[in-house]
Amino acid sequence: MFKTFFRFMKLMGKRLPIYLLAILLSTLGQAGGRIANSYLLKHIITAAQAGSMEHVFAPVFGTFAALVCCLLLWRFSIIRYNIEARTATGIVEKLVFSKAMRLPMSYYELNHSSNFMSTLIFDTQKASDIYTSRLRRLLAAILSAIVYLIPMFYFSPELTLCFIGISFLAFVGNSLFAKPMKKAGRQLSDKNALLLEKLTNILTGMELVKIFPVGTKLTSEYEDAGIDYYRTQKHANRLSAGLESLNCFFDLAGALASLGLGVWFVSLGRVSLANLSAIYTLYGTFRYVFLDIGLYLPQMMGCIGNAEKIFAFLDMEEEPEHWLCRDSMNDVADDAMLTMQNICFSYNENNVVLEDFSAEIKKGSFVAVAGESGCGKSTLTKLLLGFYPPKKGCLAIDGKAYADLTLEEVRAQIAYVPQEPYLYETSIAENISYGKCGANREEIIAAAKAANAHDFITRLPNGYDTVLGSRGNTLSGGERQRIAIARAIIRNAPLIILDEATSALDNESETLVQDAIRNLKGKRTILMIAHRPSSIAAADFVIRMGSAN
Amino acid sequence: MVKQSFRKGYLLIFFVILSFVSSEIVIQGNDYIATAADAMFVGEPIHFSEFIVPLLVLVVLGTITAYFKSISGKHYSAAVQKEVRTFLGKHLVRLPFSYFDEKGAGNIMTRLISDMEELGRFFSEILPELLVNIITVLTATVYFVKMDPRLIIVLFASYPLMLLVTDFLSKKLAMLAQKLRIHMDERTELANDAINGIVVGRSYNLYPIQKQKIDTVIDNMVAQACKSTRISSLSWVLKNVITTIPVIVCYLFALYEVVNHRITIGELLAFAVLLGRILGPLGDIIFCANDFREIGVSLKRIQEIYRQQPERTDGSDYAPLSCDTDGYAITWDNVTFSYDKEQTRQVLNGVTFSLEAGAHIAFVGGSGEGKSTIFKLLCGFYEKSGGEYKLFGHSFDQWTLQAARSCFSEVSQNVFLFPESIRQNVACGKEHVTEEEIITACKNANIHDFIMQLPEQYDTLVGERGVRLSGGQRQRISIARAFLKNAPILLLDEPTAAIDIESEAKIQEALERITAHKTVITIAHRLSTVQNAQRIYVVSGGKIAESGSHQELLEQHGIYAELYGRELAENV
Repeated sequence: MFKTFFRFMKLMGKRLPIYLLAILLSTLGQAGGRIANSYLLKHIITAAQAGSMEHVFAPVFGTFAALVCCLLLWRFSIIRYNIEARTATGIVEKLVFSKAMRLPMSYYELNHSSNFMSTLIFDTQKASDIYTSRLRRLLAAILSAIVYLIPMFYFSPELTLCFIGISFLAFVGNSLFAKPMKKAGRQLSDKNALLLEKLTNILTGMELVKIFPVGTKLTSEYEDAGIDYYRTQKHANRLSAGLESLNCFFDLAGALASLGLGVWFVSLGRVSLANLSAIYTLYGTFRYVFLDIGLYLPQMMGCIGNAEKIFAFLDMEEEPEHWLCRDSMNDVADDAMLTMQNICFSYNENNVVLEDFSAEIKKGSFVAVAGESGCGKSTLTKLLLGFYPPKKGCLAIDGKAYADLTLEEVRAQIAYVPQEPYLYETSIAENISYGKCGANREEIIAAAKAANAHDFITRLPNGYDTVLGSRGNTLSGGERQRIAIARAIIRNAPLIILDEATSALDNESETLVQDAIRNLKGKRTILMIAHRPSSIAAADFVIRMGSAN
Repeated sequence: MVKQSFRKGYLLIFFVILSFVSSEIVIQGNDYIATAADAMFVGEPIHFSEFIVPLLVLVVLGTITAYFKSISGKHYSAAVQKEVRTFLGKHLVRLPFSYFDEKGAGNIMTRLISDMEELGRFFSEILPELLVNIITVLTATVYFVKMDPRLIIVLFASYPLMLLVTDFLSKKLAMLAQKLRIHMDERTELANDAINGIVVGRSYNLYPIQKQKIDTVIDNMVAQACKSTRISSLSWVLKNVITTIPVIVCYLFALYEVVNHRITIGELLAFAVLLGRILGPLGDIIFCANDFREIGVSLKRIQEIYRQQPERTDGSDYAPLSCDTDGYAITWDNVTFSYDKEQTRQVLNGVTFSLEAGAHIAFVGGSGEGKSTIFKLLCGFYEKSGGEYKLFGHSFDQWTLQAARSCFSEVSQNVFLFPESIRQNVACGKEHVTEEEIITACKNANIHDFIMQLPEQYDTLVGERGVRLSGGQRQRISIARAFLKNAPILLLDEPTAAIDIESEAKIQEALERITAHKTVITIAHRLSTVQNAQRIYVVSGGKIAESGSHQELLEQHGIYAELYGRELAENV
């Protein structure tokens, strides 16, 4: 628990001292303001007792000026504080995002994307409450408690210790709530992820919702998840209500106990009435501050629960820089672009997808891979792209073993056109330019022309600057596919992998895409997962895959 | 939203009453103790026995009320959130398709999570606080009036200035909050986009670009939040200064009254205590304006979804087969369509065709010519801009959308798979489906054997987008769904495109089974898949350019014949 807290604070880095100093200064400013306010009344009463208004104005305006100074100090430090707190929140969000982008591919295939979205939106929002409010409240309370304790000890250490004992009982009572509240915080976060999952199902499956009778099922699932969340909320509410009522109890019972203690001490002659009166006044405020600590601590625990969830996410293993290869590589021919030696692969124990698969693709050749659906063609491309490491066997690109290259280097040599062309929610030009960092407009247009996409793009009202909708729905399947191909062409990589890439094209655009591919023939190496006679016919070689079973 | 916030309104009333009672109890209890302490300090003995019983009663009462006060306030907020969420969930599925195309999933998601949190804060903190503050101020004002009405005038004199300042600042704050929300939407959308496109992002090493993009957005969010802290802290300082001035004036005025012997020192003290009690709430009431405006941004964003007109629900629930249809399942007469209201990009320019029940027709043509749009209009995802569309003899407008859609099943290789088990994905074809029905449907779709090979068989989870299933396998799942739905009209989207030669036979067999005794509409790029259709419509430029059977079209020597010739040449 403390570990999580300190780790969370460490994320602030060098900003932490400034942040803490800002908390200290703002607390001082606030306390100063309060003191100035009480002095104001003191001056008035003194004047009233004197029965004259002559000497009241100077001290009143002096105190007012002090108040304004304190407020300005407060403002200065609270701005600094907020800037540091918000920046730290930003740091956490950035960490979560960059983590989400670097996980092994299996994570994305096995997890609902809403898991990550919930961590990014909900957990960071809740956990960074520590930065933006919870910690300051707690520290301010602790600071003021210390400020009150010093003079109290001066007046009578024994009585003060007894008073602290009473307050400590209250504190112990409160801290009993810390653990359950942290648990409730985590539960809320889990339920929220579930809620988001159900919501994502509705949003992404809207087409099915309209045509199949699943709308009621999905909304009732969402509703159930909502009720579940509501129940957890109610549970958390009961906890915090219990905490509040406990505090109300200690408020009155503590006052009574301290009064009894004071009387007892005076009767024993251990403390003078004057000192008791001084301590008693201070204790009146100290008590509330201590109760506040007891109240804020469990609240912060709830947030630490969210922070734990963030760390669990951040601690997941990332995709390594490169996959290690245990098997040694046989000699690789000089003119081989891709070498696959005795590859074995399975996603899990029972289902072998590739068994002892070997192939060599020469530079500049055009190779088609054919085979029954489910025989491992798509898995092969995943291995080639380094999404998964082969269980056995070795891969090499351009004569170099995958094990000797970083995955980034491997992927830099490949231009991939996936089966489902994913287009980002940005302009068409930017979508194409993702193939090559910093590509200029001419290059983009040239690539679009080569992919036979230029004509339809210029027919759109905004041309290359057309921003694609959330599912690129404004474009037809063939149009999307051609943009994806343009993205692969602009990449200018030595190896192009097309995964059933021309299947969604109509004859006319396919002919032109085939032409474009033929133009690349000889200059680049092309690997095409194919199923149509026409695309197989254009290839130099055909690798026919059979099921591993 | 107003309705949902009233439904559990009694909780809010409880909260206000209880918070009043509980603060009274605490004040009363502390009064007992303070009086006793005061007595002790002037040297009188304390008689604990005199007040110990009432005090203990107060302790018990206070503990109980504090519990119920807190729980009623928090439950109220949670209940409103739940009601709003439930309503929105039901509302979302009724919204027209175009809304989701326009807004994007990320945008709607932030609204339902982040803005909902704000909504919760509004109902759990700000609204109850405001109510309690107003009541406190009102009761204290009564005391003041009793004491000296002129004090009230002095106290409230500075209020107009404070109102002006906070009004100005809170407007600025609301503007910043709005901007912050927009950045938050952007962040959610970018993150959502990046995670959904991870295959492309990873293979193209896009991580640095995407990271830079999201970093910029997050930096903007931080900058926006910092800007608003400058303003909100300024308004806090101003609030303190502005509330202190009337306090000083009041004090001085009261002092003046004391000096002139109109009130006593005791009354001055009582006045100071009361003033102390209402100053906080008085300032806070005005300050709620800030919170109201800031949270108002979130409320508006949620309300924007509320206000979206749902799809129409009027019309009759015709039964597709029993009605008198003249033998026609579908007739279109000069149907036009454009995605935007201004009709700048007309997608369909007057499409006319008719389809006899039980017949098999096909639409062919290049991509972007309007074939997919015809599908969307048929299912009522979008409403036509002009022309006449009749479904089983009734104008489409007279059908309820639900009944109309129950006439169609779609078979496609691009079907959406829910990130759940295969069983659940097939089961969505029909309500209250049994295990046997699912298995029969999968057997008919020739996918059963494949599913049984999987480690967890029907319980196998498919990834978020069903990543590990090939196009052919997905298509067969969609065929299984269609078997369950058993709708009279089948829409086949590119039935054999992505399928490798080896599994084509399995799909062909499944398709023959599902299309038997059904009305079938196929859209295809590949002419080879539609040759057996009774009538083929060639779509070009949003119009039907040619129509006829395969043989007739070849004889016309038009677009179709040319396309066919090219495809033939390809395949040789």
